[in-house]
Amino acid sequence: MTRPSEPFSTVSPPAGPDLLIGEVRTALLQHSVALPRAAAGQLLQLRHGERVRTSERPSGQAVSPDLLTGVDCPLPTASGRAVRGVGTATSRAVLTEGRLLQASVRVRIAATGGSLRLPWGHYLARPGTVEPSGRLAGADLVDGHLSADRLPGGALDLGAIAERLLTDLQGRRVLDRRAPFRSRRTRLLWTATRAEPGGDGPGALFTIEDGTLRTLRLTLERVDPVAVAAFCEDLALHDWLLTTLVQLVERSGLGSAPGPEPLLRLRPAVDHLLHLWMPGARVDRALAPIWAGLETRPGFTRQWAATVQRIRDHLALQAIGLPAHSYQGD
Amino acid sequence: MLIFAISDKGGTGRSVTSANIAYRRALPGADVCYLDFDFGSPTSAAVFDVPSALRGTEQAGLHSYLRGEVAEPQRIDIWAETESAGLRPRPAQAGQLVLLPGDRGGGEFVLGSDTVRRCADLFLRLEEEFEITLVDLSAGRSYAAQLVLEATALPELSSVTARWLVFHRWTRQHIIAAAGLVYGDRGIMATGASRGHERDRLRDSVRFVRAAVPSPSSPMFAELRPAQALWLSICDEDLTRLASEHKLGPMLTLGTVPLDPVLQWREQLITDEDVLSSQVANLETAQAFADLAAALTDDRRWQSPL
Repeated sequence: MTRPSEPFSTVSPPAGPDLLIGEVRTALLQHSVALPRAAAGQLLQLRHGERVRTSERPSGQAVSPDLLTGVDCPLPTASGRAVRGVGTATSRAVLTEGRLLQASVRVRIAATGGSLRLPWGHYLARPGTVEPSGRLAGADLVDGHLSADRLPGGALDLGAIAERLLTDLQGRRVLDRRAPFRSRRTRLLWTATRAEPGGDGPGALFTIEDGTLRTLRLTLERVDPVAVAAFCEDLALHDWLLTTLVQLVERSGLGSAPGPEPLLRLRPAVDHLLHLWMPGARVDRALAPIWAGLETRPGFTRQWAATVQRIRDHLALQAIGLPAHSYQGD
Repeated sequence: MLIFAISDKGGTGRSVTSANIAYRRALPGADVCYLDFDFGSPTSAAVFDVPSALRGTEQAGLHSYLRGEVAEPQRIDIWAETESAGLRPRPAQAGQLVLLPGDRGGGEFVLGSDTVRRCADLFLRLEEEFEITLVDLSAGRSYAAQLVLEATALPELSSVTARWLVFHRWTRQHIIAAAGLVYGDRGIMATGASRGHERDRLRDSVRFVRAAVPSPSSPMFAELRPAQALWLSICDEDLTRLASEHKLGPMLTLGTVPLDPVLQWREQLITDEDVLSSQVANLETAQAFADLAAALTDDRRWQSPL
């Protein structure tokens, strides 16, 4: 399903989309060491002849070219109203520090579309846009997309596109499949709508739905698909880091089990995760206040810093305690 | 690590034993998932006591996934969704215990290269997250067994450890049947070799589990007349000899689960509560499950006996 479409460049989508929906899935790359830059470029070369974009500062990141997936299916509406959507979804893969792999899928929902399906050329000229058949209330679709898990199947499922892309990449032969520790993939379902004049100002509502599912409702003054997708990828990445670190600490028995055992179990976190924390580093300037808001509530960096400090305190205690213990033993 | 649970005949306690192994493995902190590949009669939801799965898996179970109808199979967090009071809440140190149920009335299906691909993708996906992926296969020579033999023969899975547990009861017929399932016509070895598995490696990844074994020293048999006790021990010796002749000897046996009245009446997980406080189950049974759970990854138990 996820296949490159024909190149096109002549028609750009109309400015100022009203509604974007998307999903980001984040996973640990199934490889024993951080994937070197050249190999990362090779892994993310999803479209022949198109460049993988890489950047080195403030952390290494490689971004695949965009892929388009044709869709023609019911849209997820919370009310259950039957609205069909036809068009394409944009997906891409992002690899950060050769360690964390993300599949990010997004769709711009056009304000209105015809009730008849047009030739594919029409939709291909509007990459990443899905046109609904008939009128569609934005709030209905936002609620529907964010509760996609609880709706009956068959509707537009961006997660399925993301999952296929991740599975494809994780199964590639360049990866040795010996990840340093086991971890869960996380999912971030997100929506971005334009702030209504006179309504609530720009803002974000981030919700942890269960162990691996998170939702994010963004209300923005300007909805730029590329910037919003990058923002959500950054948020999903840091949420994965925090979720995984907290889980590793919980399971290590730090603070309850005696001896160096818990810290030895946390070794992979120290080796592979602690240096990856750089929230907001690649976020568009216009969206920086949204990150700042999320740092106040729920406060990602606060929890991260406290957890890292806890690990370091225990390391320090062990470092003092172990020689003392062996001295007594002598 | 992938663990495949298989038996030649029904009624060996394969499902209930493998579910208990998964449970015992998750208790001290391993992340374990249990896949119900018993496509003829998916029953794991009953063993784990998750009625929501009995009702709700009409669409998104493993059959639908393998047929390509859904992108991901349904997952059930046992600690959160079980109705068995003894399993809730999740014990402090326990790891994940996740069930991937089959579809209700799913039936067997035709094997195609797409199915094998999807099966391999699923195994790789679960390897990312779980220390143990326990796959409960149907009894006998099934499509399910062929499917996993084909999937594990793919080069992508060559670095993933896969081990087989063959369950049999401690009777003449079961011993002969279990040997046939592994070494006989269209058995695991023959099918595996024809799908590209290396014969020696596959053989060394198979171990037997003796289930529902009456132990002459058990209190259950304390009331036996001397003649009965003697007969029982002669039978036991005969069976031991027979098992060795059929390459099911002690070196290739990973564990023995004693006959337990609780499991005869109801297929369920045996918790410490059942053993210690209500005492409906035997301590030996719980211990056997825990030993098997530990033996799954104990490499000394999986060294080539040759």
